[in-house]
Amino acid sequence: MIQFLYLATLGLHAVFVGYVAAGTVYVAVQAVRHADDPIADATRVRLPFMLGVGITAGVAPLLFVQLLHQRRFYTANLLLGPRWMAVVPALVVGFYALYVVKQLPRWRVAAAIVGSACFAFVAWSWSELHDLMLADARWAEIYAAGERTFIGAGVAARFATFAGGMATLFAAAACWQSHGPARRLAAIALAGRALSIGGGAWLVARGFDATAAGATWPIVLVVATVADIAAWAVLAATPRRDGALTAATATGVVVLAAALVVREGPRLALVEPDHPLAAGAGGAVAFAIAAILGTLAIAWIVRTVRTVQE
Amino acid sequence: MSPLDSPIPYFPVNDFGPAMKGMVIGGVGIVHVFLAQFAIGGGAMLLYFERLAQTKARSANADRAASPEAMRSSIEPNARRFVDGFFPVLVLVSFVLGALTGVAIWFTTIEVGARTIGLMIDRFHWLWAVEWVCFSVEVCAGYAFYRCGKQLSDATRLKLLALYAVASWLSLFFINGILSWQLTPGDDPTGGVWQGFFNASFWPSLGFRTIVALALGALAACVVINTMDLTRDERAALIRRAARLATPMVAMPILGVWYFAVIPADSRQWILGGSIAMTMFVGIAGGASLLIGAYVVIGLVVKRLYVSGATATLLVALAFGATAAGEFVREGARKPYTVRNVLYSTSITPAEVAGLRVHGATAGDPYPLRDADRYPNDQLKRGALVERALCDACHTMHGANALADLASTWTDEQLRMNIAKLQKTKGFMPPFAGNADDVEAIVQLMKWEIAGAPPQWPTTDDPKQHALIARWLDEAPP
Repeated sequence: MIQFLYLATLGLHAVFVGYVAAGTVYVAVQAVRHADDPIADATRVRLPFMLGVGITAGVAPLLFVQLLHQRRFYTANLLLGPRWMAVVPALVVGFYALYVVKQLPRWRVAAAIVGSACFAFVAWSWSELHDLMLADARWAEIYAAGERTFIGAGVAARFATFAGGMATLFAAAACWQSHGPARRLAAIALAGRALSIGGGAWLVARGFDATAAGATWPIVLVVATVADIAAWAVLAATPRRDGALTAATATGVVVLAAALVVREGPRLALVEPDHPLAAGAGGAVAFAIAAILGTLAIAWIVRTVRTVQE
Repeated sequence: MSPLDSPIPYFPVNDFGPAMKGMVIGGVGIVHVFLAQFAIGGGAMLLYFERLAQTKARSANADRAASPEAMRSSIEPNARRFVDGFFPVLVLVSFVLGALTGVAIWFTTIEVGARTIGLMIDRFHWLWAVEWVCFSVEVCAGYAFYRCGKQLSDATRLKLLALYAVASWLSLFFINGILSWQLTPGDDPTGGVWQGFFNASFWPSLGFRTIVALALGALAACVVINTMDLTRDERAALIRRAARLATPMVAMPILGVWYFAVIPADSRQWILGGSIAMTMFVGIAGGASLLIGAYVVIGLVVKRLYVSGATATLLVALAFGATAAGEFVREGARKPYTVRNVLYSTSITPAEVAGLRVHGATAGDPYPLRDADRYPNDQLKRGALVERALCDACHTMHGANALADLASTWTDEQLRMNIAKLQKTKGFMPPFAGNADDVEAIVQLMKWEIAGAPPQWPTTDDPKQHALIARWLDEAPP
């Protein structure tokens, strides 16, 4: 149950932060080009809100990972130390940079570049932390050396995989939200998929076991990715077909889910046995009730906002 | 050997230079608590003012967005301007920064006491997840109102603000149960989750925090109202309304007495004179709250005085000081535990101390020293490992709360006995979780540091001293 919740909330978090990270880069590129771009205009307005929701959504997987991999997570945090904690000021700076991007055209280029750098740093740090959690045989040596970075075999490949995924997530969300040129967003989505495929292949070449969660998931991932690419290709060719966007979104959701499971596969065997206190902890019913009521409340809020906007 | 193989979870220890770890978590924690409580009080303030704006206006313009004419018939004509003005932005900023400092607290707590936060997660993860749901609703409602509030009907505005206010208060409700459990977990810390959640200090603590949140909302509102383009009389009317939400401060003394009555006797003793630093901080928190409460209740509500923007800002700063002092006391009152009777501030359980007394404090520590070459002999290296494992959570060697300063005038015999009988030396210290060799090693380390860390230092190996230390350890069992 905890593993399911971890993956589900991580997926939710990925959608929002993917939009923010890739969207900020897109806005930065368009600002540098001084392009009059409806996609960038729409994205700029939404970025602060999306980051706020993304950070909030990120609290849940942060909670659940502490149950599944407590000692590994805490140790990796501590080994990276102050360098790891720098993700918080980076997020603060990034958040306010997004407001500057939104409100102050004069500073837009600089703020968008600063924001992009902040979010790239945070994403890289998470990739680093993930790999360091798995490298328990090297922890003592890393600690003794006082190293604050971990350039393990898979960090760059992991980062590339997820950077590509973020670009595709942004393209899908922006496509639904804006009336801009879908062809350009389809091109971004396809470039993102290419980057992810390259990063994934690099990870596997470096020894990543894609079948650790079972042979089915990598197959699902590959099939869904192929279908996703096809849907985006159709959209690039005939941008007014809503059916293609719906298909791209559906396949994108499957790609995200399968990618998360494949990503977690090697860590499945490392999940800590239930701690004595955690095993007997009650409150699951309270959470279930809260989750239902909270979902209903958020659904009402979304409906209210949409009604007003329409 | 992987560090994961150790039965006692040892974690890498980071050094923050001259800052003790309590200062690091305190710095982040106080800012977070202040922002989060303001976001809660701010939500209640918005709801209250929206209610004021719609009272009477509703009869003139039912179920539609209120027109300017209708607003003029409200019992508080400028309330809507306040709700739609700068204040929501302030609330928005505070809850985003509150969220970020909340994440920062998590990371900082891991830095300072990984085992403590792990224990709390184990115990309360489902309720923490409930708190996350409440916070998610709060964020969505807050953003929705910020973005679309002006376009909504009266009824929807009220519902949205009520949702925000209730969700934000519920997040306080749940986090309060988890935090108060640390000091008053009850007789069975591993018992049912609700028994732990509704612990002895839950209700007074919840009441206190709720009142503080309302007061912070009211004070910040007074600052904002002074920036609004209104006549002095119009501002005075709004200030009087805002001040009403701070009037529950009159209940603070009762809640304070209730809180002191239910916390453990030794914690109460530290606060009420046993530890002069804690007593002074209680005095600062209580005194500042009294001043704010008296000003608001007597000055603003009873005497209907006006408060300027400068004075209101000063009151907010005073409230920040009171929050800081109160949080210091709340954290300090738990000593020598981080979770009462369950985990010492050294991240060692009472049950583990006996084993460490036999095998040594660092026998299972998989992490080597980062600066082993600095020490002239192996005994000092061992002392440095012991210091890292048992002292570093609350002390530094030469910075804040420095061991070298605390013990600089002690004789060798005092050093050995005071450390061996640590919990008897000072009641808020945990028992020494090591053997006689560990005591001698840290004694030599402290003497060496006090002497200025000379390049040569003799190793001590006196069987009589060893036996004496062992006897003192036996006289102070865990």
